[in-house]
Amino acid sequence: MSTRAPILGRFRYGYVAPAALLVAGLLYVPFLWTAYLSFTKYDGLAPPEWVGLRNFGKLLDDPALLTALGNTLIWVVGTMALPVGLGLLVAVLSYDLKGGVWYRVPFMLPYALSGAGLAMVWSPILSHDGIANILLGVDTAFLQKAPHNTIAMLLVWTWQQLGVNTLLFVVGLQSIPKAPIEAARIDGASGWTLFRHVIWPLMAPLTAVVVGLALVASLKTFDIVWVLTQGGPGRNSETLAVTMYKDTFVASDYGYGASVAVMLTVVTGLASFLYLRRQVR
Amino acid sequence: MIRRAVLIVLGLIWLGPTYLLLVNAARPAASYDPSKAWQPSGSFALFDNISRALDSANLSDSLASTALYSVVSPMLGVLIGALAGYTIVVLRLRHGFWWFLLIFGGTIFPSQMLLVPLFVGYSDLGLYDTRGGLLLVYTAVNVPLAAFVLRNFYSGVAFSIFEAARMDGATTWRIFWRIYLPLSVSALAAVFILEFTFIWNDLIFGLTLTQTEDVRPVMTALAGLMTDVYAGTPVPVGLAAGLMVSLPTVLLFLATQRLFARGLSLGSV
Repeated sequence: MSTRAPILGRFRYGYVAPAALLVAGLLYVPFLWTAYLSFTKYDGLAPPEWVGLRNFGKLLDDPALLTALGNTLIWVVGTMALPVGLGLLVAVLSYDLKGGVWYRVPFMLPYALSGAGLAMVWSPILSHDGIANILLGVDTAFLQKAPHNTIAMLLVWTWQQLGVNTLLFVVGLQSIPKAPIEAARIDGASGWTLFRHVIWPLMAPLTAVVVGLALVASLKTFDIVWVLTQGGPGRNSETLAVTMYKDTFVASDYGYGASVAVMLTVVTGLASFLYLRRQVR
Repeated sequence: MIRRAVLIVLGLIWLGPTYLLLVNAARPAASYDPSKAWQPSGSFALFDNISRALDSANLSDSLASTALYSVVSPMLGVLIGALAGYTIVVLRLRHGFWWFLLIFGGTIFPSQMLLVPLFVGYSDLGLYDTRGGLLLVYTAVNVPLAAFVLRNFYSGVAFSIFEAARMDGATTWRIFWRIYLPLSVSALAAVFILEFTFIWNDLIFGLTLTQTEDVRPVMTALAGLMTDVYAGTPVPVGLAAGLMVSLPTVLLFLATQRLFARGLSLGSV
C-alpha cells in the first residue's frame, strides 16, 4: 500500500458507491436474510416465525436430504475421477505428441454446448426407447433408477467437461520446466516412473487449482440434474442444490429451503477450507 | 503408439454424440427414428428446424431478452467494477483495501443463498418477472470479478499518467473515461466475455425470478421444454434449438480469442 495521500476528488465515494451498493443490496443482504430465514418457519406469505434450530433438526432425519447428500457425494467423487482424472490422462497422453492439438479436438467440441443444449442431445440418447438402448441391445431405464441416473448424468457431464480440464492440464504441462524431465530421461526414467516422480510433482500447483475448482463446482451441481431429471423420478437423483430449490419453490417451505442452502454453504466452505489447508501445508 | 491408439479410441467415443447431434439436427423433423439415428438423412433441414424451434414456445422473444441481459449487464457490471477499481487504486480511496474486500467478497456466496430473498424481495418491489429485475441481479453478480480484474490492471499502470493528466487540469472522471478505460480495453473485454457466457448460460436466476415466456432467458425456456424427451417437440427441432443457443458464446469466443488471451495476462500493459 502506498503512503501517498488520497487524491481529493469530490466524487470518490460516489465512484465506489454503485459497486458497493449493488453488491451489498443484491448479494450481502440476501445472503444474511437467508441465514436468518433458516431459523424460521416461512411460506413467503405470513411473516417469518422464529423456530430456532428446528429446521436443522429436521435436516438430520429427512430421507430426501440423505439421498441428496449421497448423490452429491457421488458427484464430487465422480467429478474427481472422470472429468478431472480422465482429463489429466488425455492431457498427459497428448501434450507432447506431434499434432496433439488435433487429438484433443473431439473433447473440446462438447464444451460449446450449454446445460440445456446438453440435455437436448442426451435425452433422446438416454430415453427409454432411445439410441443407447438400441445401440447396446438392452432395455435399461438410464434416468429412472438410483443410483444409475446419477451415474448416467455424471457420464454426460464427463462428456462435456473433459475438454476444458484437459486444456487446463495441457497448459500446465507445457509450462513446466524441461530440464528436470530431460535429466530424469537421461537417468533412465520413462513412462509411469517419469510421470509419477518427475512430472506429477512439477505440475502440483496447477492440479491444485483444477481440483479445487472442480470440488466447489461439483458440490453445487444443479444445472445438469435440473435439465435431465429435475431431481426425479420422485426425489432419487436430487443433489443438495436441487433439494434446496425444490423445498423452497416447489414445496414453498422457504425456511426449510433456507436451512438446506445454509448447509450447502457450510459444506462447500468447509470442504474448500480443508482442501486449501492441505494444499498450503 | 499406444498413446495414439488410446487417444483415438477415446476421441471416437467422444465424437459419437457430437455426430448424432449434427446429423439429427439437420434431419427433417418428422423423419426421426431412434433406430436409424446414425444414418445421415438425404435432406438438409437444419434451418427449417431452427425456425420451428423459434416459433415454438416464443423462443425468439426469449432469445432477444437473453441477448439484452447478456450484453447490457456485463457492460454495466464491467464499467461499475472498473470505476470502483480505479477509485480504489488510482484515486487511493481511504480504506481502499477494505472497500475492495467488501466488493470482491460478493463472489463467495453460492447462488442458492440468494434465491429466496431475491424472489420475495422482487415480488414485493414489483421486479419479479421483469427484464429490469434480471438486468439488476446479473449486473450485481458481475461487479466483483470486474472490480478484481480491473483493480489488478490499474495497479500496473504508471501513476505518472494520472499526474500528468491532473496537471493539465482534467477531472478525475475525465481521466477515468478518456484515459484509464481505453487503456484497459483488453481486460474489460476478457471480463465481458466471461460474464456474457455466464449470463447466457444461466439457468437458476431465470428459473427463480421469471415466469412469462418473453422475459424468461433462453436456457430456462429450453429447460422448460425438456420434460420427457422434449414433451412432444420433435427430436430434430430440439437438437437444432440446442445447437442454436450454444452458437453465440462459441462465436464470441472465437472472434475475440486473441483479445482474450491478451486480457488474461492481467496487469501487464
